[in-house]
Amino acid sequence: MRRTIRGGRPYFFDDPAVDKILNMVVVLGSEVWTLRERLAALEAIQIRQGSLASGDLDAHEFSPDDEARLAGERKEFIDSLFRVLQVQVEEVRTKVVKPKATRRQSSAARGRKTRR
Amino acid sequence: MLDLKHELKLDKTRDEKARMNFVSGLRAHVLNDMASGMRAVWDAEVEPAFRRSRGRRPKDGPEVHAAMKPNESFKFYSSLRVTTQDLVWQSVFPALERNRGALKEKAARLARGSRSRTSKARGTLTLQPGFDVPRSVSAIDVHLMAGNYDGEYEEGDLAAGSLYDNGLAVFSFGLMGQNLDDIGQSIAGFIKLKYPKFKPAKILDLGCTIGHNTGSWKDHFPEAEVHGIDVAAPCLRYAHARAQAQDRELHFHQMNAEALDFPDASFDVVFSSMFLHEVPRKGIEKILAEAHRVLKPGGLMLHMELPPNSQLSPYDAFYLDWDGAYNNEPFYKPFRDLKPEEICRRAGFAPDKYLQFVIPSVGWYGEKVWREAAERPPAVDSDKTGRLTDGILWYCFGAFK
Repeated sequence: MRRTIRGGRPYFFDDPAVDKILNMVVVLGSEVWTLRERLAALEAIQIRQGSLASGDLDAHEFSPDDEARLAGERKEFIDSLFRVLQVQVEEVRTKVVKPKATRRQSSAARGRKTRR
Repeated sequence: MLDLKHELKLDKTRDEKARMNFVSGLRAHVLNDMASGMRAVWDAEVEPAFRRSRGRRPKDGPEVHAAMKPNESFKFYSSLRVTTQDLVWQSVFPALERNRGALKEKAARLARGSRSRTSKARGTLTLQPGFDVPRSVSAIDVHLMAGNYDGEYEEGDLAAGSLYDNGLAVFSFGLMGQNLDDIGQSIAGFIKLKYPKFKPAKILDLGCTIGHNTGSWKDHFPEAEVHGIDVAAPCLRYAHARAQAQDRELHFHQMNAEALDFPDASFDVVFSSMFLHEVPRKGIEKILAEAHRVLKPGGLMLHMELPPNSQLSPYDAFYLDWDGAYNNEPFYKPFRDLKPEEICRRAGFAPDKYLQFVIPSVGWYGEKVWREAAERPPAVDSDKTGRLTDGILWYCFGAFK
């Protein structure tokens, strides 16, 4: 069955990319919800079957090893989320850190002698 | 929550159900929370700014629209509403594609059952091979539904009907009832309450799609012969199977409401719901004239629709005009700019026989409030009339012949 409409859809923001990104965010929201609903079904079935007691998931305490591992994974998750912003910061930092050596190199690249 | 109440309902996976639940929740959020938020911004910022710069209040929907367009609340409301509308249908496609074979088999069995002498409901389906589907249907994907009502993928196809049935459940987030017939139930029942001596023997539903509101007339007037017409074959096939599955004897015909293949003075009621706004203006005049022709003297024409702009505030006119601009409903605004009392008069109905009602949803308000409305009807100009929101009210206009 055809799933795309004839004639296309309207856009509302000055840059239609914003509408498109918003659309992607909504679809992501739908997938997050879908995972939650599936988990909820899984939990309900396990409780009914007796392999899990109601409240077990909320009461669970991670071992210190698990906590540490999760903390690391959490930091990686958050870092990867914001990596695109980090790229710009790195560019700025490396420009500031690079000393005269840089000027010499780039002058050489341009084929000019630097004054000393 | 969104499971249909008959054996044609689609067999869905957990994930498919979850996505439909989510999109339905999105619909409720956009039409309740975001809509009222946008209204608050209009009241607090945009309208005062308009008055300051023009020295007067806005006079109509288009002026409100122009003032709202640059506003961020309008952009978010609109962008999310379009996205959500598309997702309504996308959430149904996977289950529908997988179930198409089973659906066809069930429909064929139900159709055979209708012909059995022992069947309680001996409904009929009459299609016209080579029927000329009007371009207003065949050329557009109305309300962003790919394939529209008439799209067919194979012989005897009824997938478009199933897409509509399941999609409407997601779209209306419960407000149209679990059988998607709150409109029909609220209105047919209301007419029975208000006119207890009125005993229609023959009833016609125009542009009936999948017959979801046609059946309500049979429920409230079981002795009547009830007919539904539409131009779309796949929807009619589905309507027939659906009616049989629910044991309601209904007669479906492929027909254009602008040229009814029925004799003069043959019906007691001619009804439609959410139909006229999908018809080009010239067609509306013909439809009302045909309704007048086929009605018996003393018969009732009644159309459930969105309220006309002439009876709404500029903001509410803008709010309902939105679909005309952004939801692939090109005939919405031309219809809503008409005055219902005038088109009824031009169709041959006497002005003093014109009527209009605002009927509370029986599902939302419950029997008591709904019954009281027969005595004291609510106002047309309210932010609950004719649009899907908590506290929904159904607007109807028409006339007795």
